[in-house]
Amino acid sequence: MADELIEIEEEEYTSQLTGPTFARIAALVKPHWRWMAGFLTAIVVTAALDAFFTYINKLIIDNGIVPGNFNLVLKYAVYYGGIQLVQSGLVFTFIYLVGILGERIQYDLRKSTFNHLQDLSLSYYSQNAVGRLMARVTSDSGRVSNLMTWGLLDVTWAIVNVLTSTIFMLIINWKLGLIVFSIIPILVIIAVNFRKKILTEFRKSRRNNSKITGEYNQNFQGVRVVKALGREEENLREFSILTDNMFRASYRAAWLSALFLPTVQIISAFALGAIVWYGGLQSQYGAFTVGSINAFVSYLTFMIWPIQDLARVYAEMQHSIASAERIFKLIDTPPEVQDRPEALSADTIRGEIEFEHVDFYYEDRKPILTDFSLKVKPGETIALVGPTGGGKTTIVNLLCRFYEPKNGIIRINGHDYTDYTMQSLQSRVGIVLQTPHLFSGMILENIRYGRLDASDSDVEQAAKVAGAHEFIASFEKGYAQDVGEGGNLLSVGQKQLISLARAVLAKPEIFIMDEATSSVDTLTEALIQRGMEALMQGRTSFIIAHRLSTIRRADRIVVIEAGGIAEMGTHAELLRQRGHYYRLYTQQFKFEKERAYGVSMPGVVPVIK
Amino acid sequence: MAVIAPPKTYFDFRKAVTKNKLVGLWRMMPDYRLSYAAANLSLGISALAKMTTYLLLRNFADTILGTTQPFAGTLTRTLILIAAGFVVLALFEGGFAFLSGRLAAYSAEGITRRFRNFLYDHIQRLSFAYHSKTPTGDLIERVTSDMDAVRGFFNEQAIGVGRIIALFVINFLAILDLSWKLALASIAVVPVILVVSLWFFKKVTKAYEAYQEQEAILSTTLQENLTGVRVVKAFARQDYEKEKFEKDNLEKFLRGRKFIRMHSLFWPLSDLACGFQMLVGFVFAAYLAIHGEISVGTYPAYVGLVVWLIWPMRNLGRLVVQTSTGLVSYERLMEIVRQEREPLSDGKIQPEGPVDGQIIFENVSFQYEDGNNEVLKDISFSCQPGQAIALLGSTGSGKTSLVNLLPRFHDYTDGHILLDGVELKDYSREYLRRQIGIVEQEPFLFSRSIGENIMYGVDRHVPQEEIEKAARAAAVHDVICSFPDGYNTLVGEKGVTLSGGQKQRVAVARTLLKNPRILILDDSTSSVDTETEAEIRTALDGLMKNRTTFIIAHRIQSVMNADLILVMDKGAIIQMGRHADLVAQKGMYRQIYNIQTRIDEELETEIASVN
Repeated sequence: MADELIEIEEEEYTSQLTGPTFARIAALVKPHWRWMAGFLTAIVVTAALDAFFTYINKLIIDNGIVPGNFNLVLKYAVYYGGIQLVQSGLVFTFIYLVGILGERIQYDLRKSTFNHLQDLSLSYYSQNAVGRLMARVTSDSGRVSNLMTWGLLDVTWAIVNVLTSTIFMLIINWKLGLIVFSIIPILVIIAVNFRKKILTEFRKSRRNNSKITGEYNQNFQGVRVVKALGREEENLREFSILTDNMFRASYRAAWLSALFLPTVQIISAFALGAIVWYGGLQSQYGAFTVGSINAFVSYLTFMIWPIQDLARVYAEMQHSIASAERIFKLIDTPPEVQDRPEALSADTIRGEIEFEHVDFYYEDRKPILTDFSLKVKPGETIALVGPTGGGKTTIVNLLCRFYEPKNGIIRINGHDYTDYTMQSLQSRVGIVLQTPHLFSGMILENIRYGRLDASDSDVEQAAKVAGAHEFIASFEKGYAQDVGEGGNLLSVGQKQLISLARAVLAKPEIFIMDEATSSVDTLTEALIQRGMEALMQGRTSFIIAHRLSTIRRADRIVVIEAGGIAEMGTHAELLRQRGHYYRLYTQQFKFEKERAYGVSMPGVVPVIK
Repeated sequence: MAVIAPPKTYFDFRKAVTKNKLVGLWRMMPDYRLSYAAANLSLGISALAKMTTYLLLRNFADTILGTTQPFAGTLTRTLILIAAGFVVLALFEGGFAFLSGRLAAYSAEGITRRFRNFLYDHIQRLSFAYHSKTPTGDLIERVTSDMDAVRGFFNEQAIGVGRIIALFVINFLAILDLSWKLALASIAVVPVILVVSLWFFKKVTKAYEAYQEQEAILSTTLQENLTGVRVVKAFARQDYEKEKFEKDNLEKFLRGRKFIRMHSLFWPLSDLACGFQMLVGFVFAAYLAIHGEISVGTYPAYVGLVVWLIWPMRNLGRLVVQTSTGLVSYERLMEIVRQEREPLSDGKIQPEGPVDGQIIFENVSFQYEDGNNEVLKDISFSCQPGQAIALLGSTGSGKTSLVNLLPRFHDYTDGHILLDGVELKDYSREYLRRQIGIVEQEPFLFSRSIGENIMYGVDRHVPQEEIEKAARAAAVHDVICSFPDGYNTLVGEKGVTLSGGQKQRVAVARTLLKNPRILILDDSTSSVDTETEAEIRTALDGLMKNRTTFIIAHRIQSVMNADLILVMDKGAIIQMGRHADLVAQKGMYRQIYNIQTRIDEELETEIASVN
């Protein structure tokens, strides 16, 4: 829903075409210029031929029927058929070329935006909602491609069609031709304004529509409350206001559309009347033939369509250009965290890790970590505890080099870690997130994400170590079981076990885990604990810990509060201090015990976050 | 549309339920049938005006060629009249085309508005059982996309088919009048075009669906990649992700190409068929004109008319195929319409004032309609007005099912529940729910302002002071004031995210304002810190005063002061009494109670061990 709102909001933006933007849009087509040249040629000829059909009919009337020469009629019929045949070939050509080119440009744009998104740093993601990023890859790409293909095609057709018709009219009678030609701009201006109004109303109704969907959604989800509070009638009254607005907007959009063609038609009917009257008079002096007048009528009647197309493309063009600019802006954004030019590939990161006077903030003047220093020996397990917002996650983010310190240095093996390539660092880190993220597909694929060349038996081995094998084996399809979109067919505990297995398979040199706060059943809990232990074995580990067992097992506990270390030491040392840790610990102790003894019921969030 | 009295914006679509889909669609249209008929009539008039234009053209051509006498005496005058005629006819054609479009939109949008209103209301009145087995996503899908398809049927397909048929019939009759031979020669290929276009659009619709399906897959891949960016980066899987996206992206391109290929064949081939049909007509018409069977002026008239006979046929296939998808959607919506509503106002007695709150359960049992084992077994207990009843037991022990019987969310299958001495089923649901307030563990708040959420349960105007009073009593006033927009702060997706404890206190304020006689509390204060817990406790105590209260308890502390404690297991009451009695008895209650003290001891030991 939020995504849809973003899309609607962005659609409203318009932008004028500037030189540089045009050059960049043109550059998108450059690799496929043959396709474009092909469809443009085909459409130009098609549009020009359209005018011939009317002219042939004039010839049939004036040279065939009126003098009674049927042979000439047949000759013209052959021309007509021939042109029809050629035109059909051309229609095939341009639909094929423009359609496939459109798909191709979309494909290219999706590819380049997606690939660039992969290279961008986490900071970019935290500043831009997923819905917006998706719009770049999907709707914006579609709109730009449409402008360059079907939009360009329609405009070209319209212009050539109007021009050739005008040329034929000028040939038949240049005075009348000029009159007709002079009303074209008026029609175009009216048409463009109409289109813009229709577009505005249409967007209004789209916005209303998304409000209606939102209201449906929350009413269904909150139906229990609605019933309990007896809100049905009031709800309906409020909903009716939304549907009333929707009615007004879509009704208006619909009747404006219905008004458009008749208006243009009626205006051209006056020109038609003038032609009939003037032409009829002139015909008495032989200056005008029946066929000529008929041709004028026909040219005028069918001129509506190109004008309509012109107006449509023009009205939408500014939105497409805004889309293009958004795409270019994305592609132009450099990744914040990048490899240094002379970065080395780290052979190992098993050594000592040191945070040296590290400062960090996501936004200016809102420091998250201040002068943070921490030295970790190889193989040590560090438990990070403390309140939400204290900076625990930031420490992990910095360690993974999702972000880099604003001040200070992080050293691995005594080297500033920015001396290493990101690939060599990150491929040696294993991470399990608090809310496990799985991808649609099989369990097998999700575990293999940790090491792509792992064999099936490697995957199974990792699952066994992580304690995930048992429940996977209980599925009918076993490792081939589909996990659903975002893994939603599995329980939270199962997702955690799979992400543990994924980390096990990666054989990381540093293990990072953000322990989940949501509760899982006791058995799964025990399995997760065992999996974690296996992973911590012999590796430097950083655990954002919530569970007592995890905390107690750590070699060192670091209490993070307000961007710095509030307390640090072993479990026993810290308990004796009777400070922050003591308070957190006793609270969590009671909570876990109550749960364990069944005094308090599951579904409740623990206190330490 | 001043001609027609404004139709009501609500209509009971249950009246439209029938087996035949087309009849059903017809029954959905009362009040709009006239405007719909007028739309179709305007369509006909517009087509008639168009046709007349070409007949006028014939007269014009024949007049200037001298084959017909100028009908207004002199040529000059006749020509002026003909010119004026063209303008007037264009006015008619355009004016009625517009009127038709406007009336059709008016009817279609009006029917859609009513249908939306009805479904919204209908669905909120369906039973709990229906809601618990129907996923929200499925309902949303139906009320949005299926609704759009039905709207399209009224707005485009029904009127579009009418337009094509009107054009065909009127122009065909006109040509028939010009020459019957010509008329027959003009439509030889029409059936072929029709069949081919039907076949094509069926095919292309499938190809398009496949294309859109792939678009959805691509979208999922994209979304999972973007939301999982930390995983992608943590495992340095950027290249792998690029490949995965490339695969889906390419597949979309390929499916798009397939779909384009079909279009690139259909349109030129049907162009060719239509074009040659026209050519045959032209040659034949020219032949007839030369041999004097028709006038010379008839030829250009024919050329103009025949266009409207042949070309629209290509689109008829599209409309027919769309109509069939519209009918499928209609059926999916009617499935909802056919569901029985919860009879809210059915009840034998309608008391004037509020209830006192004396409740007696007598051998009450309950099982779900589609379930085969009893969720509640032989429940008996009683309580006096204003008392607090605590329910203790593990998940699935039946606590929630028991309290759900009180507002008649579900009806008990056996035994009696007496409220103030009257059978509960004799009260209407509407009345009962006004008497009962519920504060859930994770209360649902609506995406509107906090102030509006608090007054959500009352249908009168509530002054700001009263809202604030309720919020103060619920210990949430200070929290609300800390937001920049205060009580106007939006909740949810576009506003602030409230914590579980804050949500619960807003719900307490909501319930305080509603002022019910009976209260159902899901007590889950353990999810907040000690300080807030104390605040909530005070708020809840205030709320419980003078109301019969059922507490679904998760901890022993919150049941100790209850007037009656029901210890539940597997749908039955296994122990019942006050705290003092239960602690004295052997049983589950004492076990739980003892654990509490044991935990404190364990903690002591643990801390002592490190010293």
